[in-house]
Amino acid sequence: MPEAPLLQVRDLTVSFATRQGPLRAVDGLSFDVGQKEIVGIVGESGSGKSVAIYSMLGLVREKNVTITGSVLFEGREILGIGDKELQPIRGGSIGMIFQDPMTALTPVYTVGWQLVEQIRQHLHLPKAAARQRAIELLGQVGIPDPKSRVDRYPHEFSGGMRQRVVIAMALSCNPRLLIADEPTTALDVTTQAQILDLMLKLQDTFDSSIVIITHDMGVIAEMAHRVVVMYAGRPVEIAPELELVRRPRHPYTWGLLDAVPRLDAKHERLRTIRGNAVSPLNLPPGCAFAPRCDYVMDQCAQRPPLHGSLDHVDACWLSGEQRVTIRSAVEEHS
Amino acid sequence: MSDEVVLQATDVVKTFSSRGKKIGTRVVSRAVNGVSLEVRRGETLGIVGESGCGKSTLARCLVQLSPVTSGTVAFEGTTLTGLSRRRLRPYRRKFQLVFQDPYASLNPRRTVGDIVAEPMRINHLGSSSEIDARVRELFSTVGLDSAAINRYPHEFSGGQRQRIGIARSLSLNPTLVIADEPVSALDVSIQAQVLNLMADLQQEFNLTYVFIAHDLGVVRHVSDRVGVMYLGEFVEFGDVGSLYETPLHPYTEALLSVVPELNDTDAPRRERIIITGDVPDPADRPSGCPFHPRCPVATDLCRVEKPELVTIVPGRQVACHYPRNLDAVKAANSLT
Repeated sequence: MPEAPLLQVRDLTVSFATRQGPLRAVDGLSFDVGQKEIVGIVGESGSGKSVAIYSMLGLVREKNVTITGSVLFEGREILGIGDKELQPIRGGSIGMIFQDPMTALTPVYTVGWQLVEQIRQHLHLPKAAARQRAIELLGQVGIPDPKSRVDRYPHEFSGGMRQRVVIAMALSCNPRLLIADEPTTALDVTTQAQILDLMLKLQDTFDSSIVIITHDMGVIAEMAHRVVVMYAGRPVEIAPELELVRRPRHPYTWGLLDAVPRLDAKHERLRTIRGNAVSPLNLPPGCAFAPRCDYVMDQCAQRPPLHGSLDHVDACWLSGEQRVTIRSAVEEHS
Repeated sequence: MSDEVVLQATDVVKTFSSRGKKIGTRVVSRAVNGVSLEVRRGETLGIVGESGCGKSTLARCLVQLSPVTSGTVAFEGTTLTGLSRRRLRPYRRKFQLVFQDPYASLNPRRTVGDIVAEPMRINHLGSSSEIDARVRELFSTVGLDSAAINRYPHEFSGGQRQRIGIARSLSLNPTLVIADEPVSALDVSIQAQVLNLMADLQQEFNLTYVFIAHDLGVVRHVSDRVGVMYLGEFVEFGDVGSLYETPLHPYTEALLSVVPELNDTDAPRRERIIITGDVPDPADRPSGCPFHPRCPVATDLCRVEKPELVTIVPGRQVACHYPRNLDAVKAANSLT
C-alpha cells in the first residue's frame, strides 16, 4: 500500500463577499502532496495560487472571506482550526519561504535574533543552544562565515543571501512540508540557480516535501515532480512534470508553454493567448478559459469537470482526438 | 537592417558619488565603465545583464536623460553629449523610451489619451483636432480600442498599459526606441502579445530598437545582436544565434546554462554552471577582470590584467583572457 499523502487538499474554495457579489479566488482545488514529493502550482497573476496556500494556513483573515473544503496535513484536518492549534504547525512542521526576502525579515533585528526567536518558539531550546542551532542553519544554507553573520542585520545581506536566511528560518524546526511562494522571482538568474539548487539539496537532506508556487514554467520544469496548473482560481490540469511539458492537454497549458521565448531556437512569432486574464468577479458560466480559448465549442458553456487517467487530469471538453489534431497542426506550423 | 549607424556610443562612463562610511569621505561607483556600442538602422540590439550591472543607467545615458561623466554619444552623426537642453530638444523627438513598470510610468491623474497626446502638444505637432485624430490612430496601431482614450490608467491591465506606453513612444515618429525591461512586469501570455506587437511595429515603421532585459529567452527572441553586461561593462558582444549557441565569455556561458528550461525534448540539456557569490559592489571593483572573483576558470593573469573587448571573428567580441568555445566559433566562421 502506498504511503498516505502528507497533505491532502479537497475541494478547497475561498470566496470573498464583495459589493459586486461573491469573488471566488479559489474554486474547487484538490491535490495531494506525497512524502518527499515536490508539487508545483503554476498560474499567472490572479490565478489564486497564493490565496489557496495562505488560506490553508489560516493566513487569510479578511472578515468577508468564506473558506470551505478540507485540508488534511499528516492525516489531520487543519482547515478552520484555531490559531492556537495552527501555531505549532506554521513555522514548525510547515515552513514557509516567501517571495520577497526583504519583507519576510524584519529590518530592526539581527538575523540571529529572528532565527533564535523562531527556534525557541517551536523547539523550546535554551537560548545558547538555539543560537548554536541558528549558526548551524546559516552554515547549512551556504552563508559564509555564519558565526559573525548571525549578528548582522538583513540590510547587510544581498538579495540572494537574504533568501538563504529565509530558507534557514523555514528549515529551523525540521518541517515536514516546505511551502515556497515564488521563492526566486525577485532574484537574478544566477542567484536563482543557487537558491533552487540549495532547495533541492536541503529537501534531500531533510526528507521534506515541497509545494512551490510560481508563474515560471521553467522553474516548474527544474523543480517539480507534479504540477497543478491554475486559471481563474480553478485547477485546469494536474500531471507529472515531464508528462505536462511533453503532453500537455489543456488549451491554457498549451498557451502557457508556447508563449515562453526559447533559448534553443528562434521563432518568428510567439504564439500568444489572446485577450486579458478574466476578472474573477464576472467569470463566464461555463469554462473560465472559454473567452480566451481558440478552440471554444458550444459545450464550453458548461463547466468541464477534471477528468482523465489516473495521474493526469484536466478540465476541458475537447476529445482526445480533437486535441491530437490541434497539437499536430500547431507543431507542423512552427 | 542596414550598416548605417544610428546611434554610436564611445567609451561612455557614468559615475555616481555617494557618502562614504567615514564622515567626510566620498565613494565613487562606476555604474557604466567605458562602454562603446553601435546601433544600426532597423536592427534590434539586445542588452542583457543581471540587476545592478548598469544596463538601465546606460539606457539613460544613451538618451541623455543622465549626463555622461565622460565619453560621447552620437545620434545619426551628431554628437549629443555636451549639447545644451535647448539644442538637444530637436533630437529628442527621434529617440523615445519605453519603461519597465507600466504602473509607474503613466500619470494616474491624466486620461490615457492625454498621456499619448502630450509629446505631440509639447512639440506643437498640429492642431488639437489633428492630434486627437493621431491619438486615435495610435491606439488602434497598438491594438487598443480608440474609444478608450478618455479613461484613466487604472482602468487598464498591465499589458494594456504597456501598449499605451508604446503608443506614447511612437507618437513623435521616432527613429530609435529604447525599451528598458518592457515586458518584465507582465505575465507570460501578455508578454508574448507585447513582444509580437513590438516586432510588428518595427516592421511597419522601420524602427531601430535597443532592447534591455534580464530575461535571456526574451532577449534571444527579439534581438539581432546582443551585448552582455557585467559590472558596468560589456563582457561579450555578438550576433544572437552564434552567441547563444557558442558563448565565448565564461559569464555568458554560466548565465545561459542556468536558465530554467522546459525539458520537452530528448535533447540533452546544457551542463549547469552555478557561479558562486554575488555581483561585486561597483564602488569597490575587483582588480583585473571584473568577473574574476566568481569565474570558474580565472587564473593569476585575470586577477592582475584586465582583458580588453577584442574581436575574435567578425560579429563576435569578448573581453576574456581565456574565451570558451573558441574552436567552435572559429570553425563556424570559416564555414560562412
